[in-house]
This record gives sequence, structure tokens and C-alpha cells, in this order.
Amino acid sequence: MVKRILIIEDNPTNLELMVYLLNHYAYTTLTATDGEQGVAVIEKEKPDLIICDIQLPKLNGYEIAYILKNNSKFADIPLIAVTAYSMVGDQDKILSAGFDDYIAKPIDPENFVKQIERNFKVK
Amino acid sequence: MTQHFDSTKKNPQKSNTCVFHNADGASQDFKSPHDISNPKLPEERFQKILEATPDAMIMINKEGKIIFINTQTEKIFGYRKDELLGQLVEILIPEPYRNRHPEHRNKYFLSPHVRPMGIGMELYGLRKNGEHFPVEISLSPFETGEEKTALAAVRDITDRKRFELTLQEKNVELENANLAKDRFLASMSHELRTPLNAVLGFTGTLLMKLPGPLNAEQEKQLKTVQGSAKHLLSLINDLLDLAKIESGNIELKFEKISCQSIIDEVASNLAPMAKNKGLDFKVIIPKEDLIIKTDRRSLTQIVINLTSNAIKFTEKGKIEVEIDKIKVQARPYVIIKIMDTGIGIKTEDQTKLFQAFQQMLIPGVRIEGTGLGLHLSQKLSALINGKIEFESEYGKGSCFSILLPLA
Repeated sequence: MVKRILIIEDNPTNLELMVYLLNHYAYTTLTATDGEQGVAVIEKEKPDLIICDIQLPKLNGYEIAYILKNNSKFADIPLIAVTAYSMVGDQDKILSAGFDDYIAKPIDPENFVKQIERNFKVK
Repeated sequence: MTQHFDSTKKNPQKSNTCVFHNADGASQDFKSPHDISNPKLPEERFQKILEATPDAMIMINKEGKIIFINTQTEKIFGYRKDELLGQLVEILIPEPYRNRHPEHRNKYFLSPHVRPMGIGMELYGLRKNGEHFPVEISLSPFETGEEKTALAAVRDITDRKRFELTLQEKNVELENANLAKDRFLASMSHELRTPLNAVLGFTGTLLMKLPGPLNAEQEKQLKTVQGSAKHLLSLINDLLDLAKIESGNIELKFEKISCQSIIDEVASNLAPMAKNKGLDFKVIIPKEDLIIKTDRRSLTQIVINLTSNAIKFTEKGKIEVEIDKIKVQARPYVIIKIMDTGIGIKTEDQTKLFQAFQQMLIPGVRIEGTGLGLHLSQKLSALINGKIEFESEYGKGSCFSILLPLA
């Protein structure tokens, strides 16, 4: 079955870039442009993986991580931060907030999908 | 002004006592404990001492009545001497301290000794005009011929308190400014990277030919876009690092690490770049592990900067990275040397080497880089107690080394 990846990102160009790359590698993409919308899509669609920006309207990435990781229904879905917060300490802060992986912007388009795929759990 | 202190002339036989007229006109003799140890102390001298202190000196008897003050007391509290003498000392104490004061005063007379008053408390005095002001008070017992008295030295600390407050406010301001700077840097970093993500991302997808084939010219131009965008990204990274170092907000984690592990990491990152240019890349490391206590990220960045410079400025020959143990003034150090057979640095350029944006111009050679690498390396090296040195001969090559104290 084709895996469904939700991207929560408020910047339309960056959203378009990730959708373009993932579609090219035959993933189905779902999108949300703010935190609340993102959580609503997760509850409705239960995607296979979530890509999430940190700075987002309504609910930020940290709040989304808190909600998901404290809900047994969603805690297992790989949650990956793709963020322009990439100064010293940001990665540690983000991973300790419950994110399963961290990718800094600007992303490397040649390796982006591979970096995402390594988060699919082997079942 | 009424003279309350009489001179010895009046009582020449009692040279070690002070005579004092209290409020109802009766004179009293005072004998300080100091007088006993030094019976020759003349009373003028005693009076002069009390007048010379910058503090208000107030003497009270057991009942709490003021029996002597110096001129400074008049200045500080705004009363004339005759308005205070015979009054209860509580006239100088504002509420709510006033009510409890007689109790404290009685206790003091039970076991009088020299001590500061109200340790750890904020004490206030009350001026004639009703104004409260912060004071510091020290108390000493003072024995007169007939009764025990206490002498209080009262210091007006209004100015000091005001300076303290100003200083505190300034500190808070500075802290806030520092925080604002930090937040500004973090936002800058975020805001500059966001558009670059789209530039580098879509240039990448085009060059990956995901949307379709490219002709040779399109590919060449896109690579130029990509190269410039990457250059811009490293400029942003270096500038933000520099700003962080300058504002003292860089987080360092000093831990014991082996120098070899740093060199291995740098070599695996940069050896391919040297090979691509057809250069030999050689690493010389001793068998024994050299352990230093340092911040891994900073040291790695310095060695990467120095090594990639060596590769950039060398067209043929070799790059050698060597670690060794040396002694400087009998102290053990680790030296990391990066040697190249590149173009070298002209003597006149050597002084400008560590300045920001002082990239060397080489005719016919376009050098990639931000012009911040050495500047940043030197700043980082100072943070980890290291020292960067170099030797260079124009046309033959350069050797940069970093010296670090051995753990």
C-alpha cells in the first residue's frame, strides 16, 4: 500500500517543494498549513509519517509533538521536524521534545526523501 | 548654637571625661570605655572625633532620651541640637519601626556590646520634614560616670541605595539587551534560511532533472545558481557563528576527546575534495592517543576551516595533516599542523590574514569561500584556549598549526 505522509508547513513554497519531492518518489501527501489543521488531519487520516515545521501558526511544532506523543493512538507515527531552526542546541531541543528525527533547512533535495524514509519503522 | 560639650578648662581635674549638659541643664560626666584603657585621651579630642565622622553620632541614655548629638546629626535629620536633646530617640525613627524600638533599646541595655543594628534589615531614619531615608546604624555601649548610655553612629545611605538601584536596573537592561540580541540572531537565522530552502530545493530538483531533461547551458546556469546559493548559506552560517561568538553567547562543552577522532572526522569529510583536485592527502598521527579537554564542535570547525583553505589554495602537490605532542616552556601541548604545497602567502598579506573579509586575490583563480574562515577560526581558537600560528613562503606553500594544552 502506498504510504501517506502528512506535511505541516505554513510556507507555501517550501510545502510545494516537499510535496513535489515526495510525490516524485510515489508517496501520497497530505498537507496542513497550521498546527490545528495538522492535528485535525492526523486524527482523521492517521498518516504513516508526519513532517512538521517548528514555527507554525496556532499550534507550533513543540505543541504538536506534545499532543501526539502523549496520545497512544498517534505516539507511534514517526514525527520528523523539518525546520530552519538550526543553530547550536536547536537539534537537541527538538529531539528531546519528542520528535523522532530532525532535518535542517535548507534541505538537500537529493537526500531528503532518503532521510525521511529511514524513519519508517521496520515491522 | 548652644555649646553642649564643655572643654576641660571647666573641669581640669577630669581630663579623661566629657562633660555634657543635658536638656534640663544639669551637667553629666561621660566616660567612654576607651577612656579607661587610655586615661590621657583629652575630651576635645573625643569631641573632635565625634565631629569629624561623616556619620550622625547620637548618644542616648537608658530611658531612650537623646543626651548628645554631633553637628552631622543636625545636618542629616534637619533638627537643631536643642530640638533633639532630651527627646526620646524614637523621634528620629519612622513608623512602623518606631513602636518596636523601645523594646529593642531596653534589650540592648541588658547586654550592651558593639554591633551593627538590624543586620539583614532595611533600616530607615525620619527627618524633621517627614522624609524617610535609608540608614546604616552601629551601636556601642558608652559608660558615663553614673549611668550606661549607648552611642549610635547613623549613616545616611540614600546615595548608596540610589547607586545600587541604578546598577541593578542597568544590569537588568543589559540582560534584556543580550536576550534581545539572542532572539534577533535566532530569528535572523530562521528567516534567512527559509527562502534559501526554496532556492536550493528547486534548483536541486531541476538539476536532478525531476521535471524533465536540461540542455547543457541550462544545467551550467543552474549550477551557478546552486553554487551562489550555497555560498550565501555558508556566509549566513559564518556570520551567525561570528555574531554568537562576539556576543559571548556561544555554548561550549569542554570534554575529554582524542585528537585522532577529530582528524579522522575532518579527513573523511575533506579527503574527497583534495582527491578531486588531484592532490595527495596524507594524515600523520602518533600511535598513542592524544587526549585534550576541549569543545569538539569548535575544534572540528577550526581544523575543517584550516584544511579546506589548504586544499583551496593548492593546485598541485599534497596536503598533510599531522598531530604531535610538543613541549612549550616545559608544558605539554598538542599541535595540529596542516601543511600544503600551495601558493603561499606574500609577506605583505600575512598581517591581514586573520581579518574578516580579507580574502586573498589571486590572478586568474576564483576562490570559493566567505572570507570569514580564518577570522572565525581565530576567534573560536581563543575560546578553547588554543593558538593558531602559521608559516608561509610565497610560491612554496603554507603551514598552519593550532596549539592546544594537553589534558
